[in-house]
Parts: sequence; C-alpha cells; structure tokens
Amino acid sequence: MYTNNIFNDMIKLRSLFDDFFEEKPGYETSRDFPPVQIKEEEDRIVIRALIPGINADNIDIQLVDNSLIISGEKKEDYENHPYIRRERLFGEFKKSIKLPFRVKNDDVKADLANGILTITLSKSEDAKPTRIKIN
Amino acid sequence: MMTEKNIARTDEVKKVYHVPLADIYETADLYSLKLEMPGIVKDNLNIVIDENELRITADAAAAENVKDLKYAEFYARNFNRTFRIGSDIDRNKVDAKLENGILTLVLHKSEEVKPRKITINQLN
Repeated sequence: MYTNNIFNDMIKLRSLFDDFFEEKPGYETSRDFPPVQIKEEEDRIVIRALIPGINADNIDIQLVDNSLIISGEKKEDYENHPYIRRERLFGEFKKSIKLPFRVKNDDVKADLANGILTITLSKSEDAKPTRIKIN
Repeated sequence: MMTEKNIARTDEVKKVYHVPLADIYETADLYSLKLEMPGIVKDNLNIVIDENELRITADAAAAENVKDLKYAEFYARNFNRTFRIGSDIDRNKVDAKLENGILTLVLHKSEEVKPRKITINQLN
C-alpha cells in the first residue's frame, strides 16, 4: 500500500541533485587530453588512453627516458552543413606519462580498439630486483 | 527520519551514466548525429526510438572494468542520452555505425516533408 508522505518529495529532490552531479561528460575535461589509466603488473605496465575518433595514423607514441609521450591530432570531421549542435573537441594534443620503472625499449605493444589505445610495456631487466650474494 | 524508500535506496548501487558529446547537423534529407562513446562495443549498445524520443544507452563492456589501477583519470563508462525527435523523421529508416568509439546515426526525413519540385504542366 502506498501512502503519501511529505518526505517522498524530499527524496525526489535529492535524486534530482544526484542526477545533476552524476551525469557528466564522457571524461574529465579538465585533464589534459587524452585521459589515461595506468595498471601496474608484476613485470609490465598497461596504459590505456581514451581517444575516440582518432585513426592509428594520427597518433605518435614515443619513449623518452622513462616517460611515455602520446601525441597526435584529432582531425575535425565536420561536414559542410549547418550544425545544430557542436560539442566535440578537435585539435592537436600531447601528453607525457612518467613510468614507474625502466622499460624495455624494444618490447612495446600498442593496440587501438573502440576508441581506446592500449599500450603494454614490459619491465626492463635492470629494474627487476636482483639478489646480491655475500661473500 | 528514514522512510522505507530511503532505506531501500541506500542499499542499491546507483549506476552512473555519462552523457556522450554530440555533433548534429541537418540537411534537406536527413539529420546526422555523431556521438563519442569510447570503449563501447556493438553488443552493449541500444538505440531505441520511442514515440518522439531517440534514446541511446550503452553499458561498458565487462573487460572495461579494470581493477587495481595505479592511476586513473577515467573509469568504465556507461552512456545514456535522449534526444527529442519530431514527426518529420522516418522511424523505419535509421542508419547506425559504430567506428573507433564514435557512433554515427543518420535519421532520414520522411518523404512527406522532403522538399519536392513541382512540375508545371504546359497547357496550350
């Protein structure tokens, strides 16, 4: 049975506020593009970046010292028609990510799928713990 | 005071939906929509036309839920956005394409509203 309760309206108001603050654009726009995610595993590191609408040809990935630099250009795909709404952003970008350990320069894998770039780097032999024998 | 509804609400985990950024243009024959939905696969995407609403919902793929991250500027995203559409759109003629994290929708206008050239019959 449902009875009317003045607190129901208060709860409704609260969910209105919740929705307002929880519905946000696809990613944090205040951050440098592209937003990244870093997962560290025992002997490798996986970096994922959100780059919707960018082809592999327009992305450049570089390893400099112990930083990974992702740069490129998101080419605008506007067509010659009057637009009702333009929310997407385009332009050049560059982001440097400091890696937590040295990596093997020749063992880097980069995949692009569904607008997500996944870069897998493996830990350099030098960065692995070595046991020191005492004489 | 805690009402029953209030108590029930605190238990459930509310699913957060993001609003995909969109570009829309219109021509004489169609409306074209481009939405940014990175990480969404075809199987998890739902596009529904319900009376005068076009509803686009997408749940993040299970593989997106990566745990134990060292650092994150984004998490698995569910998307939801609703557009109001007029009666000028042909409900049966909607093209959708998902490519590189971008969803492109083409809504064709119905034949009745398209500009039509009227031929003049010469009578003499």
